[in-house]
Amino acid sequence: MNRPARSFRLPAFAALALVAASGAAQAATPRDALVMAWNLDALITFDPAQIGEVNGNDIIVGNVCSTLVNYDPKDVSHMLPSAAESWSVSPDGLTLTLKLRADLKFPDGHAATAADAAWSLQRVLQLGFFGAATLTQWGFTKDHALEQIRATDDHTLVLTLDKPYPVDLLLSAIFAQNVATILDRDAGTKNAKTTEGRSDYGNAFFKTAPICVGPYHVSRWDANDVVVLERNDIYFGPKPKMRRIILRHVPESSAERLLLEKGDIDIARLLSPEDLKALEANKDIHIEQTLMQSLSYVAMNTDDPILANPKVREALRYLIDYDGLAKTVLQYQGQPRASLVPEGAFAALDHTEGEPFTLDLAKAKQLITEAGYPDGFSKKMILSANSTSPAIAQHIASNAAKIGIKIDLEQMADSNLFTRGRNRDFQLQLVGWGATYPDADSMVSRHATNPDKRTEAKLTGYPVWRTGWQNLDINAKADAARLERDPARRTAIYRDIQIFMMHNGPIAYFAQTIRPIAWRTMVKDFSVGPFTVDYGSASK
Amino acid sequence: MRLSRVARGAGSVLATMLGLLALTFFMGRMLPNDPVIAVIGDHADQATYDMVYHQLGLDKPLTTQFLLYLGAMLRGDFGNALFTGHRVASDLARAFPATIELATIAIVIGVGLGVPLGVAAAVFRNSPIDYLARCLGLIGASAPTFWLGIMGLMVFYASLGWVAGPGRLDVSFIDSIEPHTGFLLIDALIEGDMDVFWNAVDHIILPASILAAGSMATISRLTRSFMLEQLSQEYIVTARAKGLSKWAVIRRHAFRNILVQLVTIIALAYAFLLEGAVLTETVFAWPGFGRYLTAGLLAGDMNAVLACVLIVGVIFIGLNMVADLLYTWLDPRTR
Amino acid sequence: MSGMHAWLTATETTSKRQAHLQTWYLAWLRLRANPLTLFGMAVLAGLILTAILAPWIAPAGFDDQSLTHRLLPPSAANWFGTDDLGRDIFSRLVHGARITLMIAALVAVIAAPIGLLVGTAAGYFGGWVDAVLMRINDIFLSFPGLILALGFVAALGPGIRNTIIAIALTAWPSIARLARAETLTIRHSDYIAAVRIQGASSLRIITRHIMPMCLPSVIVRITLNMAGIILTAAGLGFLGLGAQPPMPEWGAMLSAGRSHISGAWWLSTVPGIAILLTSLAFNLVGDGLRDVLDPRSGR
Repeated sequence: MNRPARSFRLPAFAALALVAASGAAQAATPRDALVMAWNLDALITFDPAQIGEVNGNDIIVGNVCSTLVNYDPKDVSHMLPSAAESWSVSPDGLTLTLKLRADLKFPDGHAATAADAAWSLQRVLQLGFFGAATLTQWGFTKDHALEQIRATDDHTLVLTLDKPYPVDLLLSAIFAQNVATILDRDAGTKNAKTTEGRSDYGNAFFKTAPICVGPYHVSRWDANDVVVLERNDIYFGPKPKMRRIILRHVPESSAERLLLEKGDIDIARLLSPEDLKALEANKDIHIEQTLMQSLSYVAMNTDDPILANPKVREALRYLIDYDGLAKTVLQYQGQPRASLVPEGAFAALDHTEGEPFTLDLAKAKQLITEAGYPDGFSKKMILSANSTSPAIAQHIASNAAKIGIKIDLEQMADSNLFTRGRNRDFQLQLVGWGATYPDADSMVSRHATNPDKRTEAKLTGYPVWRTGWQNLDINAKADAARLERDPARRTAIYRDIQIFMMHNGPIAYFAQTIRPIAWRTMVKDFSVGPFTVDYGSASK
Repeated sequence: MRLSRVARGAGSVLATMLGLLALTFFMGRMLPNDPVIAVIGDHADQATYDMVYHQLGLDKPLTTQFLLYLGAMLRGDFGNALFTGHRVASDLARAFPATIELATIAIVIGVGLGVPLGVAAAVFRNSPIDYLARCLGLIGASAPTFWLGIMGLMVFYASLGWVAGPGRLDVSFIDSIEPHTGFLLIDALIEGDMDVFWNAVDHIILPASILAAGSMATISRLTRSFMLEQLSQEYIVTARAKGLSKWAVIRRHAFRNILVQLVTIIALAYAFLLEGAVLTETVFAWPGFGRYLTAGLLAGDMNAVLACVLIVGVIFIGLNMVADLLYTWLDPRTR
Repeated sequence: MSGMHAWLTATETTSKRQAHLQTWYLAWLRLRANPLTLFGMAVLAGLILTAILAPWIAPAGFDDQSLTHRLLPPSAANWFGTDDLGRDIFSRLVHGARITLMIAALVAVIAAPIGLLVGTAAGYFGGWVDAVLMRINDIFLSFPGLILALGFVAALGPGIRNTIIAIALTAWPSIARLARAETLTIRHSDYIAAVRIQGASSLRIITRHIMPMCLPSVIVRITLNMAGIILTAAGLGFLGLGAQPPMPEWGAMLSAGRSHISGAWWLSTVPGIAILLTSLAFNLVGDGLRDVLDPRSGR
């Protein structure tokens, strides 16, 4: 344990109270540890089968639990080997075989096999948590998990598919995800808890201490305080340069900025535009902006008779100052985007085509007049009380007021906002959504395809169902695209869907998220991708 | 007779606690914040939602849920905190000492400055000292906490380097102390690790001072008010007439007589700091009780909230009972 | 005028009305004598005037946005600068005075009588009345303020009116406790006994003889709580349950300016100072009133 020398201290009187002063307190982070500050509020589990939020995903995927395959950081639509060294697909396209590396080991040194990998995938289906949808949407089911996912020997994983999906799509949608990681089956079975006759497959145990094949393991997690990762020296890939990764929960941007400037942390993950602007001038700080595959949008509930009118919905799209917002309120945090497929995903419209709207009050006025509401109307918008949402909502409401549309705002806690959305209990909802894999399918399958629009169908995980909108032609097109193995033809179908949705859909997208991360320039090779952040490559 | 009185006291405390828990529980269930969403997020489908809803026992009738919770609680089981993924008991074992440590130092500062200020203001009533004392206290109480906190960090941490930054310890010390009591200062002393001790002092002193500003204001203001009342009493005039010096009268008579009231006020101010430290805890990345309670509430996580309410309730009721006893036993007028 | 002054200060009063008016007049004279109180009253008077005349004082509306004029520092055109949507902060502040004053006043008007009634009744009757009332009081008092307010607002629905009711419901227990403690110290005094012997009803004793004695400390407590009330309203607004945007509620402005504190300090500092000044003024006036109203304080 190396610690900085503490110098002589003397008490001093500050304006308010007695303040203990430490002499020349030029703090520095330990040389063999990477210290990161972030808002870790959302963290609730480290079990890969359960992770559904950004903190857990960032820490676990690729850092504690290596995925079977990886995205190519330079081109996310191209897949690279990771724990699986190769893959092949049968001629009929219904059997996918993944060959695992022979040198996979858990942190304590014992070998990890395809049986562990198969068990890890099967338990995702059995547990039915958030990750289960990653598998079920490709035809895997809880009841057939054992036949569909098999280990034929120590290094071979065989998957039986219900349809001949394009291989790259499948690898990207499943095998580069948190669910396709290798947990220790023995530890999981031994520590499994049974309630009401159902095993938890070690969920309660892995929740705080996942035992995984990966470059690091979790050595400490104090909720809302600190997470410490320790290096696994037996890791199969290139040896991570940092011995420890320390993540500190610092929920206030200004505090993070001061810590970074003073050198008490190496990396700051939660910084407001104001703080980033201030750091821009600092030569010791680098700001990295990564275009994420997440979108911010206003969902319009078509159960509402006025919002059911496509002209009204189109008018709303002309009430947003896309460029203005991106340059001001969303500086460092978002760029204009109106298509439902984020830039960077396979088959996404390009930058210009994906954002054809501008703030145009005259056009909006004309549209609502054509729709039969020349004098406007009144609607309520629900939104999160956090971050930039209030400013964006007020911006939209103020523009709407200029053409006679009155939008009343109602702020609420996130959990409440999501529930209202899932219950279809809103008129307008300001919210966001992140694609889970870099393919148009990820968004289209949830934001355009609505298999059953009835309220009682309860497809609450589909934002498009929440708006009560459905288009059978779009459903058919999306299904066809999913099975189309010719990339050019797939791209063409998705292009049609995107253009149609942009003008007729129930959701007005206005920005694609940018993730700014600031670090001290002594940190090298910290590799940030739109889905994963590779802690192991960093050095300083 | 004494025994029956104790029994009645205990009974009423139990009734209060039960009422408190019931009120919290049913009110919590009325909140629109959905604990299931806190667990599964916005992307999850209905099957996942229904499964977790069932696992959390939310499909049982409200009264059944409450009774189950009470039963578990009596066995010492506070359940899991959904929004942190840990046991509530283990979360609180860390969060509670963190805040107690902060609040204790804050109240020491608040009393150390507030009481003399209040006495001086009363004695030199309507003099510049009085005005200064009152304004200082009031400004301390009315300035928005997070604003004071960030300004404090900018000046004393970033510019002057007198104190350490947000958090309870520098990262280099993170693993160097065994949590015996959860109070870092005490743990460091137990282990005899003075480096850690001084580092913890560096970290705690600024947030504690900022937290102290509010309680100092309350304390100095009420001290002034109590003292004024005493100073206007006839016995003070008599004592002075008997030739006692002004300060002797103030110290031996007036101040002694306000002690009971003062202790009550200080105790309540202290209890208030426990949940009132949320903003300070946020600015200073302090993993404390106030933030834990608020975050739990926002996530609709009743396990965490109920345990917190229980702790705050016990402290409040305990302090109130002590205050009541002091009133009845020490103040002759209430007999 | 001087005739009036003489009539109001005459040592021999000729009517009950004159005596009453004299009490008030003398109180006013003493209130006036204290410069701090005077300052506090001036601030509050200015605030009330601002609230009434808001549309005429404010140079712009409270929701006149302009993304090209955002985050401008204070200048001749925008005295207190502009916020993150380019709105004039001075105008918002002026309009916000209405909301802030309304919340503070209504909470006081609702909470003080409830607290006073519960507290004096508990203290005066003692016994089981005291036990029951104080246990209820304990439950409310030991309840974290935020969750209590949140619960009420959740039940009643969000918005400014429900915010006021919710805060009032959290504010009365501390007043009740104070009133009870005061009542305990005076309920056995000779003059109460004298009134009782004359056959006065309990209700009359409480309202006419005990409550006036408790009033001063209650006023002190309420004014002391004013800042807290305004900040609780802001806290609720921050959680989305108080005043909804674009209402220029000061606390909400302060919360919204939070993320800009390092680059654009005026966003949160200006409403912060406004809240500080208001609560300072309330406190000073409360102190002054206490000195005047409390029959036991030194003359």
